[in-house]
Parts: sequence; C-alpha cells; structure tokens
Amino acid sequence: MKLSKLTITLAVVAGLLMSSCESDWLDREPPNILLDDQVWNDAGSITGVLSNFYDRLPAHTSLQAGWVDFAAYDEATWSGYTGNDYLNNLLTYDYGRWGLWDYNLIRDINLSIDKLNTFSSLPEDQRTQFISELRFIRAFVYFEHVKRMGGVPIITEELIYDFSGDPTYLQYPRNTEQEVYDFVISEMEAIMPTLGNGESISRANRFVALAVVSRAALYAGSIAKYNNLMPSPISLPGGEVGIPASAADGYFTKSLEASRTILQEGGYALYNNNPDLGENFYEAIVSKSSNTEVIWVQDYLASADKRHWFTYDNVARSAREDNLASSALTPILNLVEDYEYLDGSSGELRTRTADGSDYIYYDNVEDIFANKDARLYGTIIYPGAPFRGQEIFMQAGVMEWNGSGYDMIEFADQQPDLGSVYTDGGILKSEAGPHRSLQDVSNTGFYLRKYVDDTPGSSTRGNLSEVWWVRFRLGEIYLNAAEAAFELGESGEALGYVNTLRERAGFGANSLSSVTLAQIRHERRVELAFEDHVVWDYKRWRVAHLKWSGSTDNPESMAYSLYPYRVIRPGDPRDGKYVFVKEVVPRFRAPRFFRLGNYYSRIGQNIIDANPKIVRNPFH
Amino acid sequence: MKLNIIQSCLLLVLGFMVASCEYDNFEEPKSTLTGRIVYEGEPLGVRNQGVQLELWQHGYDLFQKIPVYVSQDGTFSAKLFDGDYKLTLIRGNGPWMDQTDSLDIALNGSQEINVEVDPYFTLNEPSYEIVNDTIVRASFTVNQINAASTLEFTDVYMGRTSLTDIVRNEGLGRFFDGQVTPGTPATVDVTVPNHLRGRSDLFVRVGVKTLGVEELLYSQVDNVSIN
Repeated sequence: MKLSKLTITLAVVAGLLMSSCESDWLDREPPNILLDDQVWNDAGSITGVLSNFYDRLPAHTSLQAGWVDFAAYDEATWSGYTGNDYLNNLLTYDYGRWGLWDYNLIRDINLSIDKLNTFSSLPEDQRTQFISELRFIRAFVYFEHVKRMGGVPIITEELIYDFSGDPTYLQYPRNTEQEVYDFVISEMEAIMPTLGNGESISRANRFVALAVVSRAALYAGSIAKYNNLMPSPISLPGGEVGIPASAADGYFTKSLEASRTILQEGGYALYNNNPDLGENFYEAIVSKSSNTEVIWVQDYLASADKRHWFTYDNVARSAREDNLASSALTPILNLVEDYEYLDGSSGELRTRTADGSDYIYYDNVEDIFANKDARLYGTIIYPGAPFRGQEIFMQAGVMEWNGSGYDMIEFADQQPDLGSVYTDGGILKSEAGPHRSLQDVSNTGFYLRKYVDDTPGSSTRGNLSEVWWVRFRLGEIYLNAAEAAFELGESGEALGYVNTLRERAGFGANSLSSVTLAQIRHERRVELAFEDHVVWDYKRWRVAHLKWSGSTDNPESMAYSLYPYRVIRPGDPRDGKYVFVKEVVPRFRAPRFFRLGNYYSRIGQNIIDANPKIVRNPFH
Repeated sequence: MKLNIIQSCLLLVLGFMVASCEYDNFEEPKSTLTGRIVYEGEPLGVRNQGVQLELWQHGYDLFQKIPVYVSQDGTFSAKLFDGDYKLTLIRGNGPWMDQTDSLDIALNGSQEINVEVDPYFTLNEPSYEIVNDTIVRASFTVNQINAASTLEFTDVYMGRTSLTDIVRNEGLGRFFDGQVTPGTPATVDVTVPNHLRGRSDLFVRVGVKTLGVEELLYSQVDNVSIN
C-alpha cells in the first residue's frame, strides 16, 4: 500500500465537501425505480400493474402459450417440426401435465390490494374499482387452480415471515374443492357492483364476472353430479377433491342465472355481419371490428409490438408467406366428422358406397364437404376450401386403374414431392399436401382456420399476427345456459339456446325439436373447438378416461386422416374425379390415454416439503 | 509474499478444482432391491409401466420419492444406496385394496422382498388352445377375493409382442358378467383378427377389470404357438 499523505488528505476533504453539499445524499429518491406512493397514487401506473396481471393469467392452451398442446387432444395432431412429434405419441398424460401452483401471482395481487388500501389517496370510488378488478383477477386465478388441482389453500392477504425460525403459522392446508368454487363465485358476486370498466372487452366488467360465474358454477355442478356417478368417485377424506352430489343443482342454478343475465342485459349479440355463414363464424372469433360477440379477450396490437407467432406456425402450407414453419396444428377427421350435414344427418363423410364395394366419386375435391355445418368452414380448412382468397387444394396422390383395381401412387420420382406432376401431365401431389412424412405440411388432410390470421403478411416472421385470444364469448354462454338448463330439467329453454346457435351455423330455424345432453355436449365440441375447452369439459363430465382409454380399439382415442386422390381411368366417366381414403393419421402412433389420476394434477413434492399440511391428490 | 496476479489466480483455480473433485464424485449406488408383488406367495400380473411403488428415505432436507415401476410379471427392482427406506403403495393405483401401512426396508447389500397385497380378484393361470387356427380358446377361473368388489369385465388380449395389455394389444375379446362369473371355471373363444392370421405364434394374456378400479389384474403373458 503506497498512498501518500496528500492523497488521503484530498480524499477526506473531498468526502467532507460532498457530504456537506447535499445533506441527504443517502436519502435521495431513486431515479429509476417507482416507489409505492408513486405507483399507488397514479391511476396510469395502477393500470400498468393490472395489465401485467391480465397478461399473466394462466391458460392451458392459448395463442401465446401452450398452443402446441392442441395437438395432444382429439381436435388436432402435430404436422409441424418433427421434433415435436411426441405430441402425437404421448403414451400417457403425465400426472403433472395440467399442474398449476402460481402463488407468486396470487401474492402479487394480494400485495397490490394491501398497497392500495394503505398507500393510496386516490378517490374512494376509484380505489374500490381497482380493488374490485384485482379481486376479479385473483378469483379467476383461483378458478384456474381449482379446475386443475382440486382444492388449494385460499390466501387472500400477504403472508409475512417473522424470522422466528418457525414457519408453521404460514402453512395453510388445502381448502376443499367446493370452498374454492364457492370463493370464486362469491368474489365475483361481491365485486360486480363496483367493477366498472363499461363495455371493455380486454378488462373485466360486470358481464365478464358473470361469464366466469357461468363457467365456474357449471364446472362445479358437473363435478358434483358426475363424479358421484362414477363407480368409485374420486375424492379425498378432507374434501380437497370431490363435491357432494347434493350441491349440483345449486351450482347449475347459479350458472344458469348468470348466463341468463348476460343474454338479457349484456347487450351482446351473436356475430352476424357476413352473409357467408362459414366466413361469418371465422370472423366471429377473429374479427376486431364491430364484434358484438366477444365478452373478454387477450388482445394483441402490432403497433405496441404485442404480437404472436400462431399464424406463422399454423398457416396452411400452400398459403405460407415465410420459408419455414407452417401447418403445425392440423385438425383431424374425428372433429371434421362431428360437424353435421345441414339436413341434420350425422356428419360422417361419405367415401364409400353403401355396400362398401367401391369409392364414391366426386367431381371436385371440396364436394364431399358440401352442405355441412358452416362452423366446419369457419374452424377448419378442408381440401378445396379457400383461405386468403386462394384455394387450398389438397391431393395426396393418384389412383390409377390397372384393369382390375386401383394402384395408389403417392410419391414422385423427382423431388420435391409437393407440387409434383404425374406422367399423365396432371397433378400427383398438390402444394398443400397432404403428405405422410414431410414436416410443415398437413399429415391429416386438413388445416386450421380458427385463429389463423387471414391478414396478408401475418404469417411472416417480420409482421406476425395480432389476432386476439377469446377468453369468453357469447357462443359459450349460450351453451353454458343450455347445459345448465338441461341439467335442471328445463329442456325447453335448453333447446332454444341450442337452436339459436345452430341457426347461425346455417341450420334452419328451430332445426331441433327436442334436445338431449349428448347433443348439447356435441354442440360444445363443434362450436368451441380450439378454444381451450375440450380437456376441461371431458374432465368435469368424468368421461376423459373413457374417451381416451389408451386402446387402439377405441376410435375416440385414435386420430384419423382423410386423403384425397385423383382417379386415372381413361375412357371411363370416373376419370379425373376424386376419391377419399380414411385411415389413422400416419404420424400418430400412440392412442390418447387418460388415467383416473389425471383428473387432478400432481402437487409437486417440493410444495409438500415446504408445507406438510398439503395432502397429495388421489392416485399420486 | 511476492506472488504475481497470474500465479495467485492459477493457485485459486487449482484449489477449486481439487475441492470440487472431492465433492462431485459420489459413488454410484451399488445395492439392488428386487421384489415381487404377491398374493399368498403367487406373483400378480399387472400392466407394464402402469403400477408404481414408492420408496421414501427420511432424514434428508429434500424429501423426494424414488418411483419404482412394477413390470408386467409383478417383479420390480431398484439400484439404491444402503440405508433405511419405506416402501409404500399408491392409493388406488393397483388392482388391490388400499394399504396405508408402509413396509420398512433396511437395505444393506442386495435384498429381495415380497410385497403382500390383497387383490380384488385373482386369476388361475389360464390354459390356451388353438381351434381351427383362427380361434384362441382360453380356460381360466376368476376368483373373488374381496367380497365387496364387482367384476366389470374380463378381456383376452392378443399381441405380436410380449408387452400385451389393455393399452398395447392387437386384438381383444371382452366378456361381461354372465359370460365370466367369479368362482366358476370359464372357457371363452376369441377370434384371431385378420391382421394376426398366418403367424406361427401369438402372445396371449387375460385381464380382469374391477369396477371403479383403473388398473387390471393380468395373467402372465403366454406365448401360444399356432400350428
């Protein structure tokens, strides 16, 4: 150490000088951090906090996160990047698959409510409104927890550790599943008068809260009813999972009343702006202009650089604008055949003659889909359907007559396969596929339309898409109302709701004269496909383990494809027509397998280690 | 002390390396715990990868179970460190009654154990006969062990591989109440599906489903030769 005396003296003097210049040197306000009384006294900053919470709301499959899992259920399979083929080949669903334990978010919300109460000097009604909105978000997060985990500890205030070495007073046991559902519903009811936000569709208002009640109470009611109808109901001794059967009607009533209020007072209307019913159904979900149907969305805005990759990844192969990705999620024949014909007959596609001896020949590849429920067009791009004004023509190969039978030819000598020409000069395999093994081209014979943006440029990496994610829309409320009404024995009312929805899809007025529970569930499947409903519906009806039994004998556990072929049979009237072959999706290997232990997700051992009062879910 | 900066850095790095050598190199577990799931001394057949046992070891900060899967012939094995473990059955996981008591295992070297369970049903090992090359005729008896349980159905599975069960099979015949009754010897015929014809052998297995229980109880897989 060689500091001269001079240096030391200078340093000391400098120190003295500086401290005397500014007496509160150490007490200055930070230039880059907002303090509590700055944040909680400024409506703009509080809105920023809220916006952060809205964005963190959990969803299993949405445009922003988890959408690849659409391919893990019976709506679609994965046709994109082959490294994700595990989605087609899940031997079982993991017990932790739907797990959620987001107490970070709950703590942040609790903390915000505390701070608003202690720091804020905003006008009383404004503060109440913010607190109501925070309570809405918190209750919604609890709903997301209870539908996955069963009962979870309800924590409504900030938990503070006292550093005494004994954390047991912070360890709360799980509330019962029923208590959490009741909490969600009672919170929503409590905040409705003060929630405000008028007709906002991205922030919660009174009708969004009612929509959550409509859905949550329906879930609770069906768990109460159908869990107890199982040969051995899934339950825990402390009621952490399972709801007594006697509670079912109460929940259905709550749900129905909430739905009725939205339908009567909400001022919403089913989207009906486009006379082309198929396009109309597509627009009902994605259109942002005068959309009277959506109740609550997660919005995206290109000018704020809030965009997503969903369209880039899922646009139909021949319509893609970028050189990579496309066609990741491809709907399966199972779903396509669930869309009925407009005459009310079953939606099964007619590919073979009645006695099964020959194919049925179609002039155009899209003719087989004629007169179907308009929601098919609005949800799925089938062979020959247009997208962005361009026909998505699909042909898997040719069927050449050899005198006694057909030779099926799919693969071209020259590469690439897609867009190849057969020796007769006609198309062998079209640009849009389908293809048995290539990635980024449909493996099923269908492409997704719902949520795929038809704005030019939206499937490029430079532009991306700003289509919003619909959390709640009126179509679901109709179906919730129909189901709850039916469960309560009001089948006439249920019939009315179902017929209204079917009318929008192209069926005539009052197309059904009576309705069954199976029909209501079927309407949910075709109306709400790709909107994050199927798993939760199957779970609450306690049918998931029957639908997805893991057996190749169970058609609902398997995924099917439909491949169109051009017939080459010169001199015959059938020459140049199209035939269709149904088979299991080539890239699909493992039947869907849902075990009883999947009805409630696993609570991690780390959570139980930290809080031994948490009991494990059944079968784990 | 006159160490220049490079030398002292090198010394420090060397020190870390030496220290980390000692801490990182655990010995691998050497002891093997093997066992069988048995009822009255007879091993029970289950679905491969379907039934899981848990091993727990107390006394460490992080309490994590060691999952042990039971293979389809009812055996299991795990490589472990010596020590005291508790073996537990997961509630509702196997085709047997829930058992809340855990099994204490003091492992010191390799060890073999029998885990005794109370199944809802048992199955007398079936015998198979091939009729006309196209029909598998299975004879067996389902025994009711737990009086309160209901037999949902009995399946005969056929497969190309020895991994054959309700999830992995190439064909099955399902028999409900009346066709197979507990306590009465049953003989059932299953037609071999077209895509399994013309083979010289077939893996066949019988599974018993208890109402409200997820996992089935199986017979051991039998390789039946045709012709």
